Amino acid sequence: MLYLIDIHHRKIGFEYAKMDPEAKVVLIQDGVFTTAAELPDVPEVFAVKEDVERRAIAKRLGDKVKLIDYDELVDLLMSNKVINFA
Amino acid sequence: MASNKIMVQFLNRPFGTIHYVEGLRASLGIASGWDEHEVYLLFMGEGVYYALKGVNRTDSLKYIHTLEKLGFGLNVERESLQELGIDESDISEEFNIVSRAEVFELMKEQDFTVDF
Repeated sequence: MLYLIDIHHRKIGFEYAKMDPEAKVVLIQDGVFTTAAELPDVPEVFAVKEDVERRAIAKRLGDKVKLIDYDELVDLLMSNKVINFA
Repeated sequence: MASNKIMVQFLNRPFGTIHYVEGLRASLGIASGWDEHEVYLLFMGEGVYYALKGVNRTDSLKYIHTLEKLGFGLNVERESLQELGIDESDISEEFNIVSRAEVFELMKEQDFTVDF
């Protein structure tokens, strides 16, 4: 499942993502302020590129996070069951 | 459109925002439409503060009572209570306490989740 994560509910969202062996995590809006150390050990982590670039915080996220644009976000939302923590 | 299973998650503290009243209103809308969707109401994270005994729910009682008549009760996540240091005995009796593992299994069955 895909876990859409904003900053306020990231901790509980990550707890659910950790239970899912096929979890995809997408950091959106202020969720991109999540640090690399806070990220759960899940197969795939994405962050919305525009949200990252606006805040100039790409370094905080580390190498594991793949940046995606809004078109790619829509594709992910349409092709996965979405659990919303945003 | 066929009936769907929809989980409504209440993640925010109950006062100072419109989240929980709007969430309950939306839940009623989901549950009472032509398609009779199944709605699962879950209070988790800081949303569990809504489930404390003695909380003033005057502004949302009509939604809760109607949802109950439709067969949809209120659920609160056990681990969120533990993380916030809330004893289960302090939770109002109309709330069913469910584990995170149970919620995760339910999430897999849902067609949609919505958070407030």
